[in-house]
Amino acid sequence: MKTTFISTNSISASTRQSLARVQQQLADALKEMDTSRYADVGKTLGYRTGHTISLRQEHARLTTMIETNAMVSSRMESTQSTLQNLVDTAKDFVAQLLGSRGGGPNAISVQTEGKSRLEGFINTVNMAFGSGYLFAGVNSDVKPLSDYTETPPSASRQAVANAFFTEFGFTQDDPAAANISAADMQTFLDTTFSALFDDPSWSTDWSSASSQNMRSRISSSELIETSTNANESAFRKLAKAYTMVADLGASNLSQPTFEKLIDQALLDINTAIYELGTLQAGLGGAEKRVSDASERMSLQIDIISKQVKSLEEVDPNEAAARISQLLTQMEVSYALTSRIMALSILNYL
Amino acid sequence: MSLSSSLNTAISSLATTAEQTSVLSRNVARAGDPTASRKIANVITVPGAGVRLASVTRVVNVALFNNVLSSTSSAAGHGTIVDALEQLEQTINDTELDASPAALLQKLSNALQQYSSASDSLAHAQAAVGAARDIANALNRGSDVIQEVRSQADADLGGAVDNLNTLLARFESVNTQIVKGTRAGSDVTDYLDQRDQLLKEISEEVGIRTVTRGDNDMAIYTDSGVTLFDVAARQITFQRSPFLSATMSGSAVYADGVPIIGTATTMGIGSGRIHGLAKVRDEIAVVYQSQLDEIARGLINAFAESDQSPVPTLPDVAGIFTWNGGPALPGNTLVPGLAGSIRISAAADPDQGGDAMLVRDGGIGGAAYVYNGTGVAGFTDRIDQLIDKMSAPQAFDPAARLSSSATLGNYASTSAAWLEEARRSAGAEADYRETLLIRSTESLNKITGVNLDEEMTLMLELERTFQASSKLISTIDAMLESLLAAVR
Repeated sequence: MKTTFISTNSISASTRQSLARVQQQLADALKEMDTSRYADVGKTLGYRTGHTISLRQEHARLTTMIETNAMVSSRMESTQSTLQNLVDTAKDFVAQLLGSRGGGPNAISVQTEGKSRLEGFINTVNMAFGSGYLFAGVNSDVKPLSDYTETPPSASRQAVANAFFTEFGFTQDDPAAANISAADMQTFLDTTFSALFDDPSWSTDWSSASSQNMRSRISSSELIETSTNANESAFRKLAKAYTMVADLGASNLSQPTFEKLIDQALLDINTAIYELGTLQAGLGGAEKRVSDASERMSLQIDIISKQVKSLEEVDPNEAAARISQLLTQMEVSYALTSRIMALSILNYL
Repeated sequence: MSLSSSLNTAISSLATTAEQTSVLSRNVARAGDPTASRKIANVITVPGAGVRLASVTRVVNVALFNNVLSSTSSAAGHGTIVDALEQLEQTINDTELDASPAALLQKLSNALQQYSSASDSLAHAQAAVGAARDIANALNRGSDVIQEVRSQADADLGGAVDNLNTLLARFESVNTQIVKGTRAGSDVTDYLDQRDQLLKEISEEVGIRTVTRGDNDMAIYTDSGVTLFDVAARQITFQRSPFLSATMSGSAVYADGVPIIGTATTMGIGSGRIHGLAKVRDEIAVVYQSQLDEIARGLINAFAESDQSPVPTLPDVAGIFTWNGGPALPGNTLVPGLAGSIRISAAADPDQGGDAMLVRDGGIGGAAYVYNGTGVAGFTDRIDQLIDKMSAPQAFDPAARLSSSATLGNYASTSAAWLEEARRSAGAEADYRETLLIRSTESLNKITGVNLDEEMTLMLELERTFQASSKLISTIDAMLESLLAAVR
């Protein structure tokens, strides 16, 4: 009759098995202390793994969106400063025109100045940014405005010359231009000449830009226009005013006709300056929306990082405490094993 | 009574003690063997003729032993499932590595977003195509891993069935010895130990129930009631498949002509390695494959191109992502094996001589499908449409056991969640079964095993008996001596 019985084998097996288990836990705890994350995130979180994967993807999406927003912002900034540059040079030119309105020798210098202003204007509008052009609309791989003064004469220059010849019967540099009356000049400027800067002539002779602006996705729900294009009225008016002064034989004109020409140029430039301001304001609004969206998204990123951490992270101090506890447990286990193994009745027989 | 009968009794005591010592030394010899059971020598008194060894029995505990058998089956089955899930998990890996299909989908969406901000840049177009290639490759690899796991499970089933047949044949010979020995009244305890060991090994492969009948004869049935052994071993048959593809299902295992795994069976086993392998091959891996197939189908449909003619007449066709059945779309229901055949359309793949800019312009399916009709560089409508479609909810086949409507990214992360949850719960269950097995083995061993200390004290007792009997013989000898001296 035995009430309590235990086999020798089960005594040694039990200490051995508990040791193996403790060693496994120790390996996991060491890894957790090193990385501050669960040793096996998927196994620990189970179905919540889907949650951390979603959060991490949301994090990546927002980060990318903020990066592309930064690119969009820098393009808009560069557009803004170019527009400002156009406004400044236009204002300079207004001052020059007002000073030269008296005619005489000034007329020649005004015409030369007009030529260089026109070239400068075209260069500025053709400003490149990255791999595209700022003012080309969606047609970003094509130079928006063609050169005016190149040889052989550009389509735009040829069109101006043809219009002048058809209207008055001689070319711009013909001395006969002195006979053009102020009223005739005004009519020419208002009708034939003005039509050169309206479609379809504008898009065939002058501009290769698209009237459709670049659109950018600045957040998951906002798709906004983030560029302007050379087909806007402001650009046409500036081109018109600069061409008027540069290429209508201003130096040959009679004083009243010259004054008419300069007055019309002044009118167009001032309108253009006003319209450039409107474009700048529109872009400024878009810039604000982009920076607002980025700010909102970076707040979201902070929250998401916190959530990912709260799901996956382990307190390293807790892991360290667990390690020292497991080590103690192992030591006790070793000590016990050797003590138990030393116990045998054979020693006493 | 006479002196000679006393002498006979003392001699019988010596013989019995010798027998007892031999049983004791057998016990000591197997003290380290966890499968050994303790043998007990039963001694009876024969009236007028001293003592003799009646029989040798062993300590058994049928309830605990059956417990060990069922724990062995469950632990083996769950262990197999955990191993397979560990292998499948490499398709997701640590969340920090961003290697899961969900993460790669997001990378593709990010690449498109970047491309949209610089739509004239060939480098960005190529990066977008590269991200698309990564997700297609990841799905291909995932599908390969799953089919590898299934094929491995099929091969292991073959191995398990062979092993089971061998074990049953050995069981038959041991069982025959036991029945014969029991009828002849000889010591069969070592055979019984051997038979128990065989039962443990059989229960690893398949969950069993045993019935013991007269003469220690035993019959084995599966836990679902199919006969594995009854007087003679029954044949277990299985047709191996050389390689399993997503569209193939493996064959069933038959015991005694009855299918014990597979969808067609009504007597399916509930535990053991064969059960676990069948669950991996026919259920877990198949469901995970169909989830990847659905992700692939969702991708192909989201990137599909539609006819851009003023009056559209042509059907939608596959865009950047295509498949074996392309350029037609895979439709609205599960297409088994789609994850294995999804790839990048050659027309948009620079590596195959294609033009990455078609991501922006469309027209992968032909001239009628060109979205950017005027060919302007800043065209972003198509890219934006793709980004929108990737984040728009789609319908998914409920056969894949996930939500029937979700965005692609959500669907992919739900799929990862499904797998990790299966892994977590299977791991916890396997740990529990393993612990149960260890505990029940321990309790059985505690009761039926050998304790050296006890055997040693028993030995002292036997030594004393032997000494006393010897002393008796010499005393009787002295008495007979003095009797003979008196007569002389």
